Amino acid sequence: MSASRWGTRLGALAFAASVLALWEVLADARFISPVFFPSPLRTASALQAMAARGDLWAPTSATCVRMLYGWAVASLLGAVVGAAIARSAAARAYLQPILEFLRPLPASAVIPPAILFLGLTSRMVVTVIAFGAIWPVLLGSYHGFRTVEPRLSEVAALLRIKSVPYLWKIALPSALPEIFAGVRVSLAIALILAIVTEMQAGQSGLGFNILMAQRSFRSPELYAGILVLGILGLIANQLLLMAERRFLRWREFAS
Amino acid sequence: MNRALSICRGALLPILLVGLWEAGARTGVLPPGTLSSPAAIGAASLEALRDGSLLWGTIETFETALCGLAIGSIIGVIIGAPLGLSPMVEAVVGPTLDAIRPVPSMALLPLALLIYGFGVRMEIMVVAFACTWPVLIVTVSAVRAIDRRLLEVARVLELPWLLSMGRIVLPAALARIGVGVRVAAGIALVVAVTTEIVLNPRGLGYQMIVASQSLRPDLMWAELIWLGLVGLAFDLVLRAIEGRWLARYAAVPVS
Amino acid sequence: MCAQVSQIVPPPRTRTNPEHSALETRRLSMRFGNRLVLDDINLTVRQGEFLCVVGPSGCGKTTLLRLLAGLLRSSSGELLAAGAAVAGPSRDRAMVFQDYGRALLPWRSVWANVALAYEARGGSRAERRERAFALLARMGLAEVGEYFPGQLSGGMQQRVQIARALAQDPRVLLMDEPFGAHDAMTRQHLQDAIARLGGERRITTVFITHDLEEAIYLGDRVVALAANPGRVLETLEVGLPRPRDQLGTREAPLFLKHRHRLFELLLPGTRPHE
Repeated sequence: MSASRWGTRLGALAFAASVLALWEVLADARFISPVFFPSPLRTASALQAMAARGDLWAPTSATCVRMLYGWAVASLLGAVVGAAIARSAAARAYLQPILEFLRPLPASAVIPPAILFLGLTSRMVVTVIAFGAIWPVLLGSYHGFRTVEPRLSEVAALLRIKSVPYLWKIALPSALPEIFAGVRVSLAIALILAIVTEMQAGQSGLGFNILMAQRSFRSPELYAGILVLGILGLIANQLLLMAERRFLRWREFAS
Repeated sequence: MNRALSICRGALLPILLVGLWEAGARTGVLPPGTLSSPAAIGAASLEALRDGSLLWGTIETFETALCGLAIGSIIGVIIGAPLGLSPMVEAVVGPTLDAIRPVPSMALLPLALLIYGFGVRMEIMVVAFACTWPVLIVTVSAVRAIDRRLLEVARVLELPWLLSMGRIVLPAALARIGVGVRVAAGIALVVAVTTEIVLNPRGLGYQMIVASQSLRPDLMWAELIWLGLVGLAFDLVLRAIEGRWLARYAAVPVS
Repeated sequence: MCAQVSQIVPPPRTRTNPEHSALETRRLSMRFGNRLVLDDINLTVRQGEFLCVVGPSGCGKTTLLRLLAGLLRSSSGELLAAGAAVAGPSRDRAMVFQDYGRALLPWRSVWANVALAYEARGGSRAERRERAFALLARMGLAEVGEYFPGQLSGGMQQRVQIARALAQDPRVLLMDEPFGAHDAMTRQHLQDAIARLGGERRITTVFITHDLEEAIYLGDRVVALAANPGRVLETLEVGLPRPRDQLGTREAPLFLKHRHRLFELLLPGTRPHE
């Protein structure tokens, strides 16, 4: 790596470090309220304490599992339903207005009805996550399947490729980039809904933990929880990006 | 003739569903505690409209959403412009921002609660955080794309930094930033409503949760549908603004 | 550069009746709404011949080709392939499009794109791959078999499309201005590649172009089409010896004679110096 790239990396690190250092100094000197903005060192030690007493991995994995489960269901269902609607003109005609109405609705709007039907249970949580996270994938899949290159459809007709092979060999790979994009957004929504429903329903997890930390004014733990959530979101997104790069390698060469 | 036909087909399913729903409620097939009859929902809607609660809730929600949008957008532009102008600044500061960005906006709910307690400011803080990112990202790329020559003109004229920012840099990037703000606006509404559903005792989201938990399903559904309509209208307004104003500016080639 | 062809090319499916022309149109007309695009086209494409169709833009050349391919149904008239009426697309008639970028699958490697033509017929992956590479070798593309189409130049992508068309093992090859999007030098290479293929396998080819000289250079016969509505003006027998070469053939007196004739037919108003 060239010297200048090392230089900028060092500079970025130095910048981040100096921000944290400044924060630390200001918090210790009480220039900023240590209750609202606890010093980074205290946050770090709170994180360590949480890990030590087992209060970190269990809630993290609980949140993680919920998020992944709801997201997986939503992605699969969304992709299939989106494809089905895209392929059927009748379905489009009948469902379009309903879809248009539901699209701008916040995913969290599912929560009040879900509480009504299922109470404050873990089933409610998973249902909310699945229902809320389905839209980006559904819309992405729908759009992806609708915008298959028409020339390729002609090629398929000329090569006498039948319906099912056409879906598998041409329509699906063509729609995959948009489905992937929808899946990534869906994961972000799933994480948010997991956090939010935990807070709402008192289910054990990171969201619940940071709410409890707030209630007892334990702000280092609050920040630690936020930090972990940020890391969780980052890892999840990065993993998806890696998968996308692997499966959609051809995109960097497409014009 | 075709338009009329497609409108009929589009309306068919919703009308059918409403009809079945009504029948189900009347005959007692559907549990009255959760899915109240459309007639009851209609009555609840009228009542809520008449006593102004729907209107008030909408105003409260939009109040915080738009305030948060404004603050978030301004912050996004302020941080984004220097990043777009100087690749070195972006290389140094960028990674720190990239570290903060994955934090889900909802994870900040307890923090905002801690700092501001329940109420307007807490919600604005969360909305502002969520809105900052799309605007920031778009600002960076928009500023980066500004013709180098325009910036040289500013330097030749020896304009003070602030003036060159306000007169040359920002107007050129305005159209694209506008698109980012439009995206953020959608996010603002969603985040505001979600905050209200989970925690904050004001606005439409709060009304829905209250209705749900005080076993007034008819009111809850009425508010949900209202929210859907409001979201739809808001989305249409945003698209109209985007089409009329932003398209005009975007027609000017910005390199 | 050309591999040994005989072992790789599969034998023809059934002997076509030599009495039947490869393609025949009788009073073929095409109407889009009120617009008459093709009027009373009577064409016979002999087996094994290379037929070029030239004409100005809007004369319906592409429409004619799409009719021949079975992608469109004519408004009136008949279309016969090897004596039988054409009902729709068929593996016997392969088409090569001008916009090669959109006709190839960007997510598949070059060899997999070629293999698309015969995948449905079974065989192991290794067999399909081997067959694809054999075809690619004939087009001079064996080295890029594992690449994605997006990594290739325009000329190479078009050759991949041609390879896929050949992989179909068609009786007729239909080409819609396949070299139109390329620069002059690439065009010449592609012309020679096609001419060479024609020499080896004698596949019946219908080749659409707006380039008069390309039509004469490549064709056994040239059909000149007028515009508005599209109709046959004249059919020329080219009669130039094969193999053809870019320099010699293009200077032959017969070539120039045909060139003049086509200019007269299709570009009236271009008069030679008196």
